Order: sequence, then C-alpha cells, then structure tokens
Amino acid sequence: MDAPGPADAELARRAADGDDAAFAELVRRHAPRVRALCAATLGGPAEAEDAAQETFLKAHRALPRYTGASSFGTWLHRIAVNHCLDLLRAAGRRRSDSLEALLEADSAALGRALSEPSSAQSLEDRDTVARLLARLPPEQRLALTLREADGMSYEEIAAAMSCSLDSVKARIKRSRAYLLKLSRHFPGPDIV
Amino acid sequence: MTHDNFQEKLSEWLDGELDASMSAAVASHLGACPACRREAELLRRLGPALFRAPAAADPRATEAFIARVMSRVEADAVSLWERLSARVLAPALGLALAALMLSIALPGPDEDAPLGVAAVSIDVETAFEVAP
Ligand SMILES: [Zn+2]
Repeated sequence: MDAPGPADAELARRAADGDDAAFAELVRRHAPRVRALCAATLGGPAEAEDAAQETFLKAHRALPRYTGASSFGTWLHRIAVNHCLDLLRAAGRRRSDSLEALLEADSAALGRALSEPSSAQSLEDRDTVARLLARLPPEQRLALTLREADGMSYEEIAAAMSCSLDSVKARIKRSRAYLLKLSRHFPGPDIV
Repeated sequence: MTHDNFQEKLSEWLDGELDASMSAAVASHLGACPACRREAELLRRLGPALFRAPAAADPRATEAFIARVMSRVEADAVSLWERLSARVLAPALGLALAALMLSIALPGPDEDAPLGVAAVSIDVETAFEVAP
C-alpha cells in the first residue's frame, strides 16, 4: 500500500517501541479493509466492529514479534482472518434454534435472489444472509468470504488461512454447492 | 472430460483459477451445454446475493474507530502493567518485605529459636497475602 509518510514497516517498528501515534496511523491505513473483512465474515455489525478492534489489539500485542517478513497489511490480515475463524468456530458450538426453524424460509429467499433476472441482486434481509452463511463450516465460510467479499486469489487465501491450495479449492466449491443445493431444495413458490 | 467433470470445474473457472488450456476447455463446453451454463450462472450470482460491496469508509467513522482502538490499546497497556505488577513486582516486594522481617525477627544468640522461626513464617504469609 503506497501511503504518503513513513512506510508501514517503519511505523510498525516505532509502534513496537511504544509510539502510540505510529500505531494510530497504522490503524488509520488498515482499518477499512479489516473492518470490511470482519463485517463480511461475521454475522452482526456489533460483533464485526468488536472483532475489528480486537484484531488491532492483538496486532498491537504481537508487534514485538512482527519481523517484516511479509508486509504489515498481510500480517495484519492474517491476524484478522484467524480471529474471525476463532469466533466462527465458537459460534458454531452454540448454533441457535432459529437457524433450523428458518431454514426453509431462508433457502427460499436465496432461491428467489438467485432467480432474479437482474443478477447482481443482493439479499435485502441481512439476517437471512447471516443464518445461511452460519450453516457453513467455519473454514468453508471464511474461504468463500475471502474470495467473494475480499476478492482474494486462491493462493492469497491459502496463505491467509495457512492451508493448501487444494483445501481452498475444495472449501469454496463445497460452500457454493451447499448453498445452491439449499436454494433448490426449498424453492420458493415463484420459481418455475 | 464428461459433463460431470466440467461441472466440477465451474467454481474454479468462475474464479479464474484454472490454467489456460483447462479454462478454454470449460468455456467451449459451456458453449455446448445449457445445463452447465445455467449452473455457472447460478454460481456466479451466489457471491453478489450474499455479499454486498462494502460501503466506502466514512472518514468520521474511521476516526471514531481509531479512537476506540487506541483507548483499548491504552487500557490494555495499563492492564498488562497491572498484571505484570501483580505477578512479578508485588511478590518481589513481598519477598523483600519478608527478608526485612526475617532480618528483624532473626533470633539473637540468647533467644529461643523456635519462636523466631514461627514469627518469620507468619510474616512471609502476610506479606504475600497483601501483595496483589
Ligand atoms: Zn455440461
């Protein structure tokens, strides 16, 4: 990222030495992407916002261990990805009943959105989206999100998730197949 | 490759992750297979249906976010210091205090030793209890 002023690595070094202004500048530069990632990955806006803050807090604690081997942005992004994955795994262990109760309605809503002639139609009800994505295993959900919302390549996703390229392919493919299956299994009345 | 093999490749094809020759093969199969074309179109629509493009960051929201992060960083530094004090400094202080008590309570040559030892063990415990 080419930002005016000192390079990220220099700011990271200063921040590790206790320069809070340097760290604040790093937050300024990287907040948009981290917040967008957390918002796309996690269900609720409040949860996402908290996760984004936690990401920077974790990064701040880990600064003394940042070697500069990868760019600060990549390093930070990996912290965000891992934090989101932890949260998704924890959420998976306390899956709510509403997930099951609304399965049919949610799947039908997805089916309708996919059959819209105006294709780039996003589902209006974000709770529906959150419940649909919550049905995916955390690793699949995160891989799909990094691809679709963050536009990352499979290679970048493999690096961010510390897994093989084949795992990325499989995770994304399975998540899409599952969601399409849901949309077909419970077609809305207006789908021919 | 069969129709099923091609269908398996659609997800990767959509993401531009196939090599050139495989990608061309998929494209040519799509030209001939309406079922795969339909499947590819549904797969393509999944992303936009579920993920909205992030709204452009509002500068004021970014400033507020930075302020919240920095106040948490500050609180974190304070609590780190407190934990460090509780774990390292306070016991160290306690030990120093205990050593002081020990030097005071050490029995002189004419006093009863058991009494002096008992006094020391009580002092050490008290010092540790009040420390954190
Ligand atoms: Zn086909």
